[in-house]
Amino acid sequence: MSSSSTAASKSTPAPPETIDISKIPIKHLNALKQDLDKELNVFQDSLQTLKIAQTKFQESKESLEAITPDSKGKEILVPLTKSVYVPGRISDVDNVLLDIGTGYYIQKDIEGAKDYFQRKVEFVTKNMEKIQEIGLEKSRLRDAIFDAMGAKIKAEEASQAKT
Amino acid sequence: MSEETQQKLQQVLTDFKASQKQYSKTVAQVRKLEGQLQENAAVKKELELIKDDAEVFKLIGPILVKQEPVEARQTVDKRMSYIQGELKRLEDTISSLDTKQESLQQKLNELQAKMVQEQQKQP
Repeated sequence: MSSSSTAASKSTPAPPETIDISKIPIKHLNALKQDLDKELNVFQDSLQTLKIAQTKFQESKESLEAITPDSKGKEILVPLTKSVYVPGRISDVDNVLLDIGTGYYIQKDIEGAKDYFQRKVEFVTKNMEKIQEIGLEKSRLRDAIFDAMGAKIKAEEASQAKT
Repeated sequence: MSEETQQKLQQVLTDFKASQKQYSKTVAQVRKLEGQLQENAAVKKELELIKDDAEVFKLIGPILVKQEPVEARQTVDKRMSYIQGELKRLEDTISSLDTKQESLQQKLNELQAKMVQEQQKQP
């Protein structure tokens, strides 16, 4: 659950667009568009991954709600494998062990754990917003290039019709 | 065209392709390390938030081994500086590959120009 949290916070910042796209040859426009398409795909994938991570953290946080002081001594079924369960009793209802990534686990009380997941959800959400913003900008640029390409093709056709 | 030029061209092309392959391999490595660095940074942040007497475990194979928070922090710090060192090294590799590719590109252009010249000479 940890490795997917920051799939893409890095991206090359778009260079300041000072060139008039209507002056770029169509071959270059096409290459540019393809590059942008690729980039947009990467963003889409990253968003998907982040969404999954976000849901996981949210679910973990919600599952903590099920542990209350009343749960002490209650019988539960502990999964040994996905298909074998053994009965057990909850002996500690105050602390949980959190996987914080890279093989490290820390013990926290319920409130601390909830706080941890809340922070994680916020972190992931913030990254998602960032990516969405960049993606929007890129897709706008892509649309502009697409329009310029269309205009070029039309102009070419018109000039060919004349001759 | 002359045999010699063609052979040279082939050689440069092979070199160019090999260096391109290495380039993308290095970039992939950088990506991976950057991800690991991010993850370690997140862990470091968590470890800094806990008290010194908190319970920290490290997963070694299938078992959890208890570790002192101080020690865990040190390990993460060490790991991060190692990754940073690796990233620095890969950066150097990338920039040297850049120069190599540039010179190969130039050679390629020269050879192509030569080829055209030779072809024009032959009627």
